[in-house]
Amino acid sequence: MTAPHNDLSVIAPVAAIALNAFRETVRDRIIYALIFFAAIVTVLGIVLGSLSVGQDIRILKDIGLAAISFIGGIIAVFAGTNLVYKELERRTIYIIFSKPVSGWQFVLGKYIGLCLCVFVMVVAMGAFLAIIVTALSGSFAGASFFDQIKEITQELSLIYLELLFVTALATFFSTFSTPVLSVLFTLAIWLAGHLGESLLELGKLTQNPFVAQILSIIFYCLPDFAGLTRIRGHLLYGTHPGTEVLTYLVTYVLAYVLMLLVLAAIVTERKEFA
Amino acid sequence: MADVVIQTTNLSKELTSSLLRRKVRILSGLNLSVAKGETFGLIGPNGAGKTTSIKLMLGLMRATEGKAEILGMPAGDKRALAQVGYLPENPYFYSHLTGREFLDFAGQLFGLGSRERKDRSKELIETVSLAEAADMQMRKYSKGMLQRLGIAQSLINRPAVIFWDEPMSGLDPIGRRDIRQILFGLKEKGTTIFFNSHLLPDVNEVCDRVGVINKGRLIVQEEVKNISAGGSYKDLEDFFLEVINKSESESNARTDQMAAITPEKEAAKPVKSEEEAKP
Ligand SMILES: Nc1ncnc2c1ncn2[C@@H]1O[C@H](COP(=O)(O)OP(=O)(O)O)[C@@H](O)[C@H]1O
Ligand SMILES: [Mg+2]
Repeated sequence: MTAPHNDLSVIAPVAAIALNAFRETVRDRIIYALIFFAAIVTVLGIVLGSLSVGQDIRILKDIGLAAISFIGGIIAVFAGTNLVYKELERRTIYIIFSKPVSGWQFVLGKYIGLCLCVFVMVVAMGAFLAIIVTALSGSFAGASFFDQIKEITQELSLIYLELLFVTALATFFSTFSTPVLSVLFTLAIWLAGHLGESLLELGKLTQNPFVAQILSIIFYCLPDFAGLTRIRGHLLYGTHPGTEVLTYLVTYVLAYVLMLLVLAAIVTERKEFA
Repeated sequence: MADVVIQTTNLSKELTSSLLRRKVRILSGLNLSVAKGETFGLIGPNGAGKTTSIKLMLGLMRATEGKAEILGMPAGDKRALAQVGYLPENPYFYSHLTGREFLDFAGQLFGLGSRERKDRSKELIETVSLAEAADMQMRKYSKGMLQRLGIAQSLINRPAVIFWDEPMSGLDPIGRRDIRQILFGLKEKGTTIFFNSHLLPDVNEVCDRVGVINKGRLIVQEEVKNISAGGSYKDLEDFFLEVINKSESESNARTDQMAAITPEKEAAKPVKSEEEAKP
């Protein structure tokens, strides 16, 4: 008997699953509805912005970026939490795991595919925002456009960092929980991360040492998205937040992502497909 | 025994039913061995444990007791899976992919190169007569078309062993004839074939050997050529019904006996003492 597949490729299945997850999400029409919604919000922002006195282009940018962050998050949460569930429901999981594919390859492939999809969406929405902002700032000169692009890119990188985390969180929950619960868990944790230090203050307010303790544990266990948002604020107003803070946050979030993916891979590896 | 491709030893599976918090034995002590190039058909009524057996052999489920080996490697071993083709029961695939994209995806999972994937997909699309639908999204496929595509994906890696779970289900007579042709082609090439079915005429025509399974137990294994040749059975269906009936009445008798002796606390002893009394 010949053994034609002695050296099993490690990358190929990951790439296949990533491409498939990307295609699946990109070919889903709901995404386009969401993006359309984001565009509407931005245009609404323009209308509101032009009504306000001394119209500030920053407000518009702020609204646009918030919309992108929100839509990107929604895509990550809903596509991510359905990942494993859908494969189980339509029994495609049997196709995958009856072939020489490991749990970690499945998880990593799914994650990469989703992140790629979120990336494309964020870039597309960002480009749209850059064009509008340039148009409204009154000068169509190339330099101005590139300035806008540069600023928006900085902002979007931080938003994307946050979305990398949300995607990992959704992927993690999807390996053992139903989509509805996964969505709730993911949104709850994402939101709690945004509360940041307010969690500590909330704890003090309750005057209950036990609750305060719990809230501070939550604060220290979650990525500080409030901090991330503050940094984005700095960037928006042209001040640099400081390299150490930035490095710390980036490392922290990426380490967190890695941990979630490892856990998701372990859960998947131990799963039975009855 | 170098030529044994599929081997199970006391393969058993228990599930904990979540509703009743009770353990249910869905496969009990399956001992099977299938030789290289042999075509083995596992037949049995619905819920007998056919699908469970295949899932255990592929490592999709883990055995509670016993073990399964494919090509001398433990169930689920990636090197063995690289040489396996599997058609799940009632396949339903990615609605967002075209048939051709799906075959390419399956080939990628095996790590095949792009040239090879392309050629092989094209060839298989012809083999299962899906040429017209190959570039259509699978959401538009009928059940029979999905079944054909499932067969095609199970052959993408030119497997040495195939596991097909109800390959004929959902197919019209033409489809079933096509699948039979494919099976004969694979047999000629020396592929080891294991399949589940409850469509006995098809099994009769293509299998070398059949095993009958009922309620998680393998009742009997027999060479197909011996079944009608022996004269005691008209055909495979006759054989199947007789064997199943016999096992049903035996298991009924066993439970009756158990019920009768339950008050006496120990269930196994009376049977044993009867045996001891014989000599
Ligand atoms: N995931 C599961 N949970 C509970 N029972 C199951 C599960 N899978 C299979 N069973 C039970 O195990 C038995 C065997 O099932 P299966 O192997 O699918 O039978 P077959 O393929 O012969 O029709 C059936 O009684 C079925 O109800
Ligand atoms: Mg079955």
